[in-house]
Amino acid sequence: MSWLRRNAVMVVGGLIVAYMLIPIFVVALFSFNDPDGKFNFTWNGFTLDYWKDAFAISQLNDALLTSLELALLSTAIATALGTLIALALVRHQFFGRRAANLLIVIPMATPEVVIGASLLSLFVYFQVATGFTTLLIAHVMFTISFVVVVVRSRLIGFDSSLEEAARDLGATPLTTFRTITLPLLTPGLLAAALLAFALSIDDFVISNFNSGSTETFPLFIYGATQRGVPVQVNVLATMLFLLTLVAMILTIVQQRRAEKLAAIRPDAR
Amino acid sequence: MQADRAGTAGTSIRRVFVATWVIVATLALAACGSDLGGGGREGEVETAAAEGEASGDLFVSNWPFYIDGKTVGEFEQESGLSVEYKEDINDNNAIFAKLQPRLQNGESEGRDILVVTDWMAKKMYDLGYLQNFDKSAIPTVAENLVPNLQSPSFDPEREYSAPWQAGMTGLIVDKSAAPDVTSINDIFDPKYKGKVTVLSELRDTIPLIMKADGVDVENATADDWLAAIDKLDAAVGSGQIRDVTGNDYVDDLARGDATVAIGWSGDAVQLQADNPDIEFVMPDEGCIIWSDNMVIPVGAPNPTAAYEFMNYVYEPDNQAQIAAYNSYVTPVSGVQEIFQEEDPALARSELIFPSEDYQQDCSTQPNPPTDGGDEVEQAFESVTTGG
Amino acid sequence: MTSGRRRVPYLLLAPGLLWLAIFFVLPLFFMGIIAVEEGSLEEGFSLTWRFANFTDSISRFDTQFVRSFIYAGIATALCLVIAYPLAYAIAFKAGRWKNALLLAVIAPFFTTYLIRTLAWQTILFDNSPIVDALKFVGAVPDDGRVLDTTGSVIAGLTYNFLPFMILPIYASLEQMDRRLIEAGRDLYSSARTTFLKVTLPISMPGVIAGTLLTFIPAVGDYINADLLGSSNQAMIGNVVQGQYLDIKDYPIAAALSFVLMAMILVVVAVYIKFAGSEALMGDEEERGAA
Repeated sequence: MSWLRRNAVMVVGGLIVAYMLIPIFVVALFSFNDPDGKFNFTWNGFTLDYWKDAFAISQLNDALLTSLELALLSTAIATALGTLIALALVRHQFFGRRAANLLIVIPMATPEVVIGASLLSLFVYFQVATGFTTLLIAHVMFTISFVVVVVRSRLIGFDSSLEEAARDLGATPLTTFRTITLPLLTPGLLAAALLAFALSIDDFVISNFNSGSTETFPLFIYGATQRGVPVQVNVLATMLFLLTLVAMILTIVQQRRAEKLAAIRPDAR
Repeated sequence: MQADRAGTAGTSIRRVFVATWVIVATLALAACGSDLGGGGREGEVETAAAEGEASGDLFVSNWPFYIDGKTVGEFEQESGLSVEYKEDINDNNAIFAKLQPRLQNGESEGRDILVVTDWMAKKMYDLGYLQNFDKSAIPTVAENLVPNLQSPSFDPEREYSAPWQAGMTGLIVDKSAAPDVTSINDIFDPKYKGKVTVLSELRDTIPLIMKADGVDVENATADDWLAAIDKLDAAVGSGQIRDVTGNDYVDDLARGDATVAIGWSGDAVQLQADNPDIEFVMPDEGCIIWSDNMVIPVGAPNPTAAYEFMNYVYEPDNQAQIAAYNSYVTPVSGVQEIFQEEDPALARSELIFPSEDYQQDCSTQPNPPTDGGDEVEQAFESVTTGG
Repeated sequence: MTSGRRRVPYLLLAPGLLWLAIFFVLPLFFMGIIAVEEGSLEEGFSLTWRFANFTDSISRFDTQFVRSFIYAGIATALCLVIAYPLAYAIAFKAGRWKNALLLAVIAPFFTTYLIRTLAWQTILFDNSPIVDALKFVGAVPDDGRVLDTTGSVIAGLTYNFLPFMILPIYASLEQMDRRLIEAGRDLYSSARTTFLKVTLPISMPGVIAGTLLTFIPAVGDYINADLLGSSNQAMIGNVVQGQYLDIKDYPIAAALSFVLMAMILVVVAVYIKFAGSEALMGDEEERGAA
């Protein structure tokens, strides 16, 4: 009983995490289902067929690849741009700071439908063909604000004494940034990049308006709900989930190793 | 803050400056107007002329499950064309919204053929987004088109549309859960409370409800439409009708969340694989008939190839393969004879070859009257959004 | 201060802000102009400065507006209650499990929004084993249902926006100086008081950020209402989408969008006033002045 009291917070945390993973579990479970017809709602029998034929639907594969490409590119751009903005907002005084703040916040207050529809009007007016490029533009646009928010919250509590120390020792602002600030900021940057990546892969509404004939993974799925979502969707989603899990675990292991090494170096006291 | 105080005057001037720029920019943009495509395209509707032998690429956009797996490949072999066949139309409005800005500028984003329902075909045509057919290039279509689809009210001369498949909107029922459903009015039966879905397509759901009340849908007034909408509103509000859905009503039927639905004939057959008790039921008061049509949009890169495709699918042998797969009404005559030899059961299917008797009370899909049409659309929209 | 130094912030800001200016602000200009037009697709739209579009949109869709704010509000409150303990657990109690738990929080994201929500359909439809079990224990009446109800929509909203609440709270808890907590514990003998007087206030920036990041997109959401609700649960996002894609009454759609944004901004402004603006804006000025 007192074990429960002591570990109450962890237990609750664990339960919540389990709750968050329920749909993932269901998706994975139904990737092994063997439906009679086109609809994958009730359990019909176990089969590995769809895992063997995971890439049988070429339209689906194309959609998934498009989504991944899009997410990687937009994450890279948005994280870079957003970090620069966050740095400026937190560490500098300048005219137009309130306005800049506002400009960052308002996209997050705008419904996706509005962003999507208004962007489309812009592209049409300037006769820009909708497709991958317009999707990329849109995805960067709506993820920048989130990157700024995450990096900024990291920067606000940032202990600048190390940077001051570096500057006292004669480092230029650029060197300080490169060797002190950036490494210390990296966890925050990674968090922001992860968020941006997830938002991009996730996005349906804005993509729907600005994709033209380009089909992303969510767009394919939405179409599929109107005629029966193929089991391969479950398979690929599970694969995606597992792959990202593995990638993230590897990064963590790497980080741990780096920390261990840093701890044994004599000068890092 | 010293810096602040010193810069106050400068700040105010800057603010006025910025504000002026903003106003000027707004007015400039307003003067340029917004190119949201109001009023459609100007000028005469062009005819997409066929030029010699068909060659190169063909891009077809169609609804899902409308073609079997072999036809496209066989067509490519026979014609030498390279075909991109995309099943990216799930909803008339959605495809319209996607393409409208391009079509307004005279481009089709590479598409040579689109397949849209009657009323959307007419809408696109009126806005100047479609091209007329070069009739001389599609003799097979003219020859084999079934008589009762040759002169629909929206395109009496078949100048810009060729039916891909036709269909019927009626009742789809899970016979094991709801064996006694025969009329549209059954959707209001409390026995089925919470298990009924209707379509969010105004031109399917409301005319059916009107028919069940004895209204002549071809000549219905706005008041008739509004009365039917009110009836629907009450049923949705009370929970009698579970949901007003788009195409995804098939999901509800498949998993048993709905046992009675207003739906499309071909879908019933698709659902039978998951639940053999699901059937299309022709309502006592009749159904709504519509067709999905092949149209050629403005800016289509290869109309000649499009005509080749149309001729191909209107050959009874080729059509038979398609018709067997999708279970909608085939627009090509001569197919029933083929089935009588090869698959007599299919030849008798009322869904693919509906007899006159079967369809005697059916009406073609009507549009709301122009007078009061806006009010009708708004009232229906209020129901579909729980307002 | 050299002039080069003064320019630094502008250089940092320029690329990102330019992107936002061109691809966010400019389109909104167009939207604003469309909002005061009238007409139809068939007959053409003309700029008549019809500001009545704004009032029309409010009166026609007041139900959906109210509904959206209520759903989003409840979902946000639920998210806060669920997220805080988890964020706290990860930040303070997880030890070597910290990264694993963070992973578990973010990982569902990578299966895409639609799939996660569709999975809830599979879990909550009328004849699913889960619902049967709920009926068996009496949590759900025998003739009731879980899917296509207000409850399922709010549950969906809560579930989908949970990470948006967890991460900011975690971020601000994680970088808290632990010595403050130790000091607190020395000062106030109970863990609860320490939490209320030390931890909670310091984590406020994270709480506020999380609340806003959850509430605002939730108000404009339409996927949850679409997939997990019936037409009686339609939110304002569904209406805007319908207006834009089905009815194609672009002036009303644009007016609706502006009204929605305005309402959200009002709520946010009130909230920030109440919660303290420096927490959100990270206003160094106010910090310095304090």
